[in-house]
Amino acid sequence: MSMECVVQGIIETQHVEALEILLQGLCGVKRERLRVHELCLKSGPNLGVVSSEVRLLCDLDQPEPTWTVKHVGGPMRGAGADQISVMVRTMIESKVSKNALRMFYALGYKLDHELLKVGFAFHFQRTAHISVSVSSVNKMPKVHAIDEAVPVTPGMQIVDVTAPATPENYSEVAAAVSSFCEFLAPLVHLSKPFISTGVVPTAAAAAASLMSDGGGTTL
Amino acid sequence: METQPQQPPPPVAEKLNPKLEKELNLESLKTRAVSLVKAVSRILEDFDAYGRTNTTPKWQDILGQYSMVNLELFNIVEEVKKVSNAFVVLPKNVNAMNAGILPVMLSSKLLPEMETDDNAKREQLLQGVQSLPIPMQIERLKARMDMIAAACENAEKVLADTRKAYGFGTRQGPSMLPTMDKGQAAKIQEQESMLRAAVNDGAGTKLPPDQRQITTALPPHLADVLIINDAGKIALPGQLNNINNQGMMQVSGTQFMGRSAASPSGPNFDNTTSPLPYSNSPRATGMVNAPSPQQQIQQQLQQQQQRSKLMQLPQHQQQLLAQQQQQLRQSSMQGLGQSQIPALHDMHGQAQQKFQTLHGQHQMPYSQPMAAHQQFQARQLSGGHIQHSMSQGQLNPAMNRHLNQFSGGANSALFTSAQGSPSSQMIPNMSSMQSQTLVPRMQQFGVSGTNPQRSHSSQMLGDQMFNSSGMMQTQQPQQQQQQQQQQGGYGNMQTNLQPNNMMQNAQQRHQNPQ
Repeated sequence: MSMECVVQGIIETQHVEALEILLQGLCGVKRERLRVHELCLKSGPNLGVVSSEVRLLCDLDQPEPTWTVKHVGGPMRGAGADQISVMVRTMIESKVSKNALRMFYALGYKLDHELLKVGFAFHFQRTAHISVSVSSVNKMPKVHAIDEAVPVTPGMQIVDVTAPATPENYSEVAAAVSSFCEFLAPLVHLSKPFISTGVVPTAAAAAASLMSDGGGTTL
Repeated sequence: METQPQQPPPPVAEKLNPKLEKELNLESLKTRAVSLVKAVSRILEDFDAYGRTNTTPKWQDILGQYSMVNLELFNIVEEVKKVSNAFVVLPKNVNAMNAGILPVMLSSKLLPEMETDDNAKREQLLQGVQSLPIPMQIERLKARMDMIAAACENAEKVLADTRKAYGFGTRQGPSMLPTMDKGQAAKIQEQESMLRAAVNDGAGTKLPPDQRQITTALPPHLADVLIINDAGKIALPGQLNNINNQGMMQVSGTQFMGRSAASPSGPNFDNTTSPLPYSNSPRATGMVNAPSPQQQIQQQLQQQQQRSKLMQLPQHQQQLLAQQQQQLRQSSMQGLGQSQIPALHDMHGQAQQKFQTLHGQHQMPYSQPMAAHQQFQARQLSGGHIQHSMSQGQLNPAMNRHLNQFSGGANSALFTSAQGSPSSQMIPNMSSMQSQTLVPRMQQFGVSGTNPQRSHSSQMLGDQMFNSSGMMQTQQPQQQQQQQQQQGGYGNMQTNLQPNNMMQNAQQRHQNPQ
C-alpha cells in the first residue's frame, strides 16, 4: 500500500467522550489506546538540495516500544483530486528497530520537531481498512522530554481518519472514507488536512444526546 | 381444516375450546363459504346460458362477478389465517414422501442451538425474579414491560421534538441554529489552525536551536537508543564537532612519525589514529596520511565518547584512568587512545564497570569494559592478563608502544604474548572467547613461540577482534617502520572497533598473516 487517503478534523475536548461512544457504535471494534512519540526528521544538505522529511513513530503503549518509519509524500493534485473530498497522497510505512533513529542521525538527518500524541484509535474494515484516531497533540519544552509534554491546544483535539490505498483502488477507498465521515458529521467536520473546517455548531447537542441514557432506568 | 390430530378418527368428535371456537367464528365462515359457492355456481350457470343461447357475454358483468368471487375468497382465507396458528395440518396418510420428515415435524423439541438460546434468554429474563412465586414473577415481568414501553414512548417523544426543532420533515430548514458569537468563532479558528499546523507541519513545536540540547533524562524508549556526550548533544557520527577532531588529526599526524611524543592534553586521549590505518589498502607501506572521512568520524566519535565516558566514570575510576593515561602516555602510542576508545564506548553501556586493580602495573583501564563490550570478542582476554604482560617488566620501547597501542581488552592478549609470556596464557583466554574458531589459531601462534615479541598476539588479537589473522607483524625495534605500520594498522583496527562493527569487518580483510 503505497498511498493513503486521509482526512482531518478538530473536535473540542469536551466532546471527545461522545465521539468515542459514536465511534464505538459505528466501528464495532474495541478502542485502542494511542500514545505515540512522533519524531520528524529532516535530511541535511549532504543528502541533496531538497530536504526530505521522514517521521519516526514510537508506539509507547506497548510493553516494548515499537518503532515505525513513515514517509509522507505530497498530495495528489489536479482536477480529479479536487473532486475527491479526501486527500490522497503517497505514504510509505514500515516497522523498524529502535536503531532507526541513530541510523537516520548517522545519515545526516536532523530532528526537526517532535510531538507526542495521546488518545485512542479504532481500526476496522469497511470496504477499506479505515483507522480513526482522536488524540491530543503535545509538544515538548525540551528535547525528548516526554513527561513534560504540554498540549499545543488544550481545548481541542485532532481527529484523523486514514486508510491505506494503492494507485489502483484509491477512488474506492476515498469513497469509503468519505461515506464513513458522513456518520461522524454530527460531531466533527472532516476535511483534507490544511483546510480549516471549524467545529460543528450542533456538536454540543449531539454530544449530549450521545452521552445521555435516554431517561431509562436500569432493569 | 383438520381439527383432529393425526390419529385414527376418534369415535366422538372432540369439542373445541369454546374460546377458540368463538374466535374461529365458524358460523360466519360457513356462511361465507356458502355464498362463495353460490357465486361460483351462478357464474357457471351464466356461462352455460351463454353457450346455449349463443349470445356474447358482457365482459363487464363477468368481470364484476369474478371480482366478487375473488373478494369473498380473500376474506375467507384471511379469517382462516387469523386462527390457523392454533392448528397444525398434518398429512393424513404416511407414505414414502413424508415418512422421513414426519417425525421431525411432530417433535416439539428444539434444535440444540435453539434450545440453549432459549434457555439463555429465559435465564436472562427471569434473573431477578426466579425465587418468587409465580404470580409475583408475572407481575414483575409485566412491570418491566411497562417500563420498557414507557421508555420507548419517551424516545419517540424526544425524536418528534427534535425533528420539529431542526425542521426535519418540513419544507423549511432548521428554524433555529445555535450560533456562536464572532469572538468565540475566531478563537476556535485560531486554535484550529494551530493544531492542524502542529500535526501536519510541526509548526509551533520546534525548539529554538539553543534549546536543542538534551538536558533532561531520556525517556525509556530512547534511553538505549541515543548517546549523549558531555556537550549535551546527541553523540552520533556526523554530529560531532569536526573542528576539534581535525585539529587532533593533525597533531596525531605529526606525532605519528615521532612515535614517542607525548599525547596531547589531559583527559583527552590521543584519539587520532595513525594515518596509516585509514587507507583501505592492506597494510601498505607509505600509506597516505590523510584519514578517510570514516576514520575521521570514528575518531571524533571516539573522542566524544571517551570524554563522555570519562564524565560518567565514577571518581576513582577517573583517577585511575588518569594515572594510567600518564603511564601510557610515556610510551605514547597513538593508537592507544583509539584502543581505549572502544573501551570507553563499552563503559558507557555499563555503568558499573569495576576496574581491575592490578598490582600497580600498567593497567589497561578498560580491559574489563572492553570485555563487556559486546563487540569485542577478546574481552575475556583482557581480564588478568594485562597484569601478566605488564608485570614482566620486559617492556622495551617498542613493546611499550605496542602495548600502549592495544590498551583495549583485545590488546591485552597482544601484550601478553608480546611480553613473551607463554602463550599458554592466551589459551585459557581463548577458550573463554566466544568464537571457537579463534582458539585453534591462538594455539598455533602460541606454540610457535619463537619471538615473543612477534606479533602473534597481535595476530591473535586481530583474530579475536576482527577475525583476521596476522594483522600484527613483528614488532621488533629494527622493524620500526613495519612496526609502525602494523601498529598503525592495529590502531586502525582499533578505531574500527567502534560501534560499527562493519568497519571492523571491512578492515579485517587487509591483514595478511605473516
